[in-house]
Amino acid sequence: MKELQIVSQEQEVQDSNDAREASIGGGAEAVVSQVADGGASIANPAASQATAPTENRDTAKDPAMTVIKQVPNLPQKVAIRDLNFFYGDSLALKNINLPLYANKVTSFIGPSGCGKSTLLRVLNRMYDLYPKQRAEGEVLLDGHNILKPDQDLNLLRARVGMVFQKPTPFPMSIYDNIAFGIRLYEKVNKAELDERVETALKGAALWGEVKDQLKASGLSLSGGQQQRLCIARTVAIHPEVILLDEPCSALDPISTAKIEELIDELKANYTIAIVTHNMQQAARVSEYTAFMYLGELIEFGNTAHMFTAPEQKRTQNYITGRFG
Amino acid sequence: MAIYDRRRRTNATYLALCYMAAIFGLSWLVVILATLFWQGMQGMSLAVFTQMTPPPGADGGLLNAIVGSLIMTILGVVIGTPLGMLAGTYMAEYGRYTKLTFVVRFINDILLSAPSIIVGLFVYEIMVARMGHFSGIAGAVALAVIVVPVVVRTTEDMLLLVPGPLREAASALGLPRNLVIGKVAYRAARAGLITGVLLAIARVSGETAPLLFTALNNQFFSTNLNAPMSSLPAVIFQFALSPYKEWQQLAWAGALIITFAVLALSIVARVLGAQRTAK
Repeated sequence: MKELQIVSQEQEVQDSNDAREASIGGGAEAVVSQVADGGASIANPAASQATAPTENRDTAKDPAMTVIKQVPNLPQKVAIRDLNFFYGDSLALKNINLPLYANKVTSFIGPSGCGKSTLLRVLNRMYDLYPKQRAEGEVLLDGHNILKPDQDLNLLRARVGMVFQKPTPFPMSIYDNIAFGIRLYEKVNKAELDERVETALKGAALWGEVKDQLKASGLSLSGGQQQRLCIARTVAIHPEVILLDEPCSALDPISTAKIEELIDELKANYTIAIVTHNMQQAARVSEYTAFMYLGELIEFGNTAHMFTAPEQKRTQNYITGRFG
Repeated sequence: MAIYDRRRRTNATYLALCYMAAIFGLSWLVVILATLFWQGMQGMSLAVFTQMTPPPGADGGLLNAIVGSLIMTILGVVIGTPLGMLAGTYMAEYGRYTKLTFVVRFINDILLSAPSIIVGLFVYEIMVARMGHFSGIAGAVALAVIVVPVVVRTTEDMLLLVPGPLREAASALGLPRNLVIGKVAYRAARAGLITGVLLAIARVSGETAPLLFTALNNQFFSTNLNAPMSSLPAVIFQFALSPYKEWQQLAWAGALIITFAVLALSIVARVLGAQRTAK
């Protein structure tokens, strides 16, 4: 494998000067080492051979290649390697290679049916609930392959939380909706539990609205409140990764804004992946964006760069609304 | 406009036919209930609830039959409901995509519509014939056999109505399968599950044929499950066919009691069902 070109981007490294040093000074090394690890940065070896010596403008003309721009030297919480996913016999995800950086928000965009949600559901093995769905390849969570058959799914899902498109409060009180998950894995006394519930509800910006009606049914809340309750429930059990599957698609703009603010606050403690059809939302909330099309990862990179100067024609077409 | 006028006339005609059909059907129900109420109320007295079934020509009540019916119905439901719930849960949750579920559902549907006299004969053969005598427990088992398919069906249907994302959300918290079902799916389907059990109770409380072959009847007060036991439907059957005025009167009273009990249960089931949809 030859040397990879690095697109230097200011946005990548504005987090800190140290990061800038690392990115500019040691960036190439980092990328190469990742390739040695298992090829996280380049999906298609043939394409990389063809484009390696050329400048990065030329890669834009090669539609077969998955462009992964600028792999910064950041810790990868999740690394997806050579992932194929099948619904029965049909291949829904084709050779996906993708990192989720720790404490960053990564958004998945792409037209309906492109595999965004499927990819998300691989990360907590939600697909395991259904027969005839299977994944091949590797998904490394802190270096451990969670696709191995001996992976304990309940423990995995406690570490990788998920919030769904439609709010799914459990048919119990607001308090119990949150306490339920906590009691499942921890022995806590009443006072601690009260505190955990309060913290979770505050974290989801819902405390002020429900603190006087914690005993009311979770189903009595409005759609936006229900969705924040679901986020609170997920956060309450202290996962490490949070997967958001179009969390705002059923919500009004005000609720959406609240949830986006929430995502911004949550990334301090969690690694977040969000599937969205709303490109402004992807631009607003995420640092990294993956564009998918027909089960393939077309382009992955820094969000600001991707929305202003995408490498791939298809990405550009999608972002500008010419298809999808 | 000619087309439109004709359409209106056709509409009016068919609407009138629909009303007539509905009134025709409902009127029989009203006549049946009115007759039952009229005849039943004449025989209704405190004695009906406090005295035993009398010999011909004497005064008496239905206490032994009411108690017998309650015992066997409750026991039948207690035996049948857990079996039906577990089977329905398997079909809707664990075995949703398996061939076994398909087969069980098919057979269950047959059982659901099987004539109850066959259930009576079946239990007669496996219990009464072997024990050598009729018994209350055999009656309860016969009723349980009728309860099971009803509960299986409603349990499966109600659990299938629980939205998939709710189960996924529960799994996504790291809940093991049994808790997803026990704490989330059952709760979400609770009203429907209760409705199913109530409907099963309503169904068996009027069954006569299975009891005639199993519990038979008992003229005296008895709570011994190992002995023949009286029941309202069996007493109604016996008394209504008799030539004695007092017995016929008691049969009417018994019919009225059963009908109102079933009506009350159905109303409770409906109210619970309505609460579910309101949410």
